[in-house]
Amino acid sequence: MMEEEEVVHAQGIKKSFKGRVALAGLDLSVRQGQLYGLVGPNGAGKTTLIRILCGLLRPNAGEAVVLGWRVPNFRIRSQIGYMPQEVALYPDLTVMRNLAFFAELYDLPREQLEERAKELLELVDLSDRRSQKVGTLSGGMQRRVSLAVSLLHKPRLLFLDEPSVGVDPRLRRSLWEHFSLLATHDVALVVTTHLLEEASRCHVVGFLNQGRLFAEGSPEELLKRTQATSLDEAFTRLEEQSKVTA
Amino acid sequence: MKTWTIVKHVLLRIGQDPRTLILIVLTPLLFILLYGYSFSSGRPTHLRIAVSNADNGLASIRTAEVGRITLTLSLGTKLVQSLDKELFDVVLTQEPDRIQNDVKSGKYWAGLVLPQNFSHALANEALRERGPQKITHQGRSVELLPPETSEGPLATLYLDDSNPVVTASVALSLNETLTRLVAEQQATPTLTNPIEVHALYGGKVSGLDYTAPGVIGFAMTLITIMLTVISIVRERTSGTLTRTLIAPVRPWEVSLGYTLAFALISLLQVGELFLVSHYLFHIRFAGSPFLVALIVFVYAIGLQGIATLLSTVARNEFQAMQFILVLLIPSIMISGVFWPIDAMPPNIRLLSWFSPLTYANAGLREVMLRGRGISGVTLELGVLAGFALLMLLLGVRSMRRQGYSA
Repeated sequence: MMEEEEVVHAQGIKKSFKGRVALAGLDLSVRQGQLYGLVGPNGAGKTTLIRILCGLLRPNAGEAVVLGWRVPNFRIRSQIGYMPQEVALYPDLTVMRNLAFFAELYDLPREQLEERAKELLELVDLSDRRSQKVGTLSGGMQRRVSLAVSLLHKPRLLFLDEPSVGVDPRLRRSLWEHFSLLATHDVALVVTTHLLEEASRCHVVGFLNQGRLFAEGSPEELLKRTQATSLDEAFTRLEEQSKVTA
Repeated sequence: MKTWTIVKHVLLRIGQDPRTLILIVLTPLLFILLYGYSFSSGRPTHLRIAVSNADNGLASIRTAEVGRITLTLSLGTKLVQSLDKELFDVVLTQEPDRIQNDVKSGKYWAGLVLPQNFSHALANEALRERGPQKITHQGRSVELLPPETSEGPLATLYLDDSNPVVTASVALSLNETLTRLVAEQQATPTLTNPIEVHALYGGKVSGLDYTAPGVIGFAMTLITIMLTVISIVRERTSGTLTRTLIAPVRPWEVSLGYTLAFALISLLQVGELFLVSHYLFHIRFAGSPFLVALIVFVYAIGLQGIATLLSTVARNEFQAMQFILVLLIPSIMISGVFWPIDAMPPNIRLLSWFSPLTYANAGLREVMLRGRGISGVTLELGVLAGFALLMLLLGVRSMRRQGYSA
C-alpha cells in the first residue's frame, strides 16, 4: 500500500508558559485518513500541542508543518477544523445563527449552508433544535453543536479537543462512528481524550505525559508490546518504562 | 472582506438581545437626564435663607431747604419681596438672635438681619455714594443731601461659606437686589454699567452648555469602552474569539469589524445624547451636526482601539472594569470637561495633552458653542484621527496576540 500523505509533521516542539514546561521537544506525524488519538492525563500538553498545530500558539522551539505549510500559516486555515474544549459558541444566538456566522467566515456559499446545516444537525442528532438558542441547550447538546460548527467547511484535517466530554454513551458511539467514516474519506483527525476506551477506536494512539510523547502505535500494537489486557494498563506500563529509560 | 461579516454579526447579536439593547439605549438616556436635571441652571436654586426684618421703613434725610424730612420708604419689606424667588426659599423670622446659630447648624445657607433703621441707613448710604438728589416732597421740590457721618453697616448677613458656589450666588444676588432697589427709588439716576460687554456668541452660553460637550464625550467614553471591553473579554473567555481567529479571517479584519460595529453603536448613543440634551435641556448647538458626528466617530474608533488593548490585558470582566476605572477617571479629570484646562497647573495641563478626551471635548465645544466649521477644528480632528489610527494598529496587534495565546 502506498504511504498516505503526511498532513502533520512536527519535530522537536517545545513550549513553556512562564517557566512551566507544557511541551518538551515533541515529534508527531499524522497521515491523511488517519484517526490519531492523543491520550494523556490532564495537563499532559494535549491542548497546547493542538493549539500549536492550529497556528494559535507559536512554539518556543522546533517546527510543525501542517498540510504542507509551516505553522502558523494563514493558507491552511480553510482546510483545518478545530473543536476546542470549551463550547465556544454564542449562547445568545440560535443553533442556526451560530452555524451561519461561522459558515460565512469559511466562505461557505449561502445556498450550501442550508443543506450542510441539515446534514450536520442530523449527524449530531439536533435537527429539531435548529431555532433554539445555544445557551438554552444542555451541555452535551452544546458540544454537539460545537462539533457541527467545526465540520461546516469539510476540513481535510480536524482537531478535536476532548470531543466526548459531556456526551452520553449512545451519542459518543455514533460520533466515533462518524469520525471513522470521515477518516475513510481521507480526512485526518487528531483527537485528544483521556478515556482509553475511546482511544481503542483510533488507528494510531500517542501516549502523552509531561510534554512528551512516550509511546505511539496502533492500539493492538501497544497492547501486544506491553502484554496488557487494556490500554489503561498499557499506558501505565509504558509510562513506567519511559521513566526508567529516562 | 470578512470585516462586514463581523460587523453584521456583532450588530445582529446586540440587536436580538433585548437586555443589551435596553442597556445601550437606556444608559446614555439616564446619564444625560440626570446630568441635565441636576445641573440644569448651572447655579444653585432653592437655598434656604432666614430673614429677620425689623425695619421700621422710615428714613430721616437732610435737605437743603427744610432741614430734616422723614420719608416712608419701607426698603426692608421691598428687599424681602424682591429677593430672587428661584434662588432663595425665604423663611421670615422674628428672632434675629437665633439666625447666626441656625446658619451654623446648617438649618439655613444664609441669614439676613435687617435692623430697625435699615431704610434710613440704606437711603442715606445711597445718597452718600451718589451725591445730592432733587425730589418732589409734599408738593415742593427739595434737594436731598448726603449724611454727614456714615450710618454704619446696613444689614448683617450670616453666610455658610462652606460651599463657594453658594457663597458667590448668595452674595451676588443680594448685591444685585440691593442695587436695583436703590436704583428704583424716586429720582435716583441709575448707574450705567461701566464696562460695555460684547458677547461674541450671543451671550447665551450657560454653564450647562459649556460642560455639555465634555459630559457627552465622557459618557460616550465610559459606555463605549465598557461595552467593547466586556464583549471582547467575553468572546475570549468563551472561546468564540479563538474559533473566529482560526477561521480564514485576518486579525485585522476581525479587529476592524469590532471597531466599526461598536463605533456605529457609539454614534447612535451619542446621537441620542445630543438629541435629548438639545431638545430637553436646550443645549446650544451652533455648528453642523455632521461635523459633530465626524468628531464623535473618529473619537469612537480611537476608543475601540483602547478597548481592544484593555481587553488583551484584562484576564476577565472584573479586571477589565478595574482597568477602565483606573484609566478613565483621571482622563476625565484632566480633559477640561468640568473646569477649563487653562485653570490647571502647568504640569497637569501638559498631561491633559495626552488624553484624547481633551481633543474630543475641545472639538465638540468649538462646533457646538462657537459654531466653527471644519477649518476651526482641524487640530482636534487631526489629533483624534492620528490617535484612532495608532489605536487601530495596536488593536490589530493585540487581536493577533489574543488569537495566539487564547
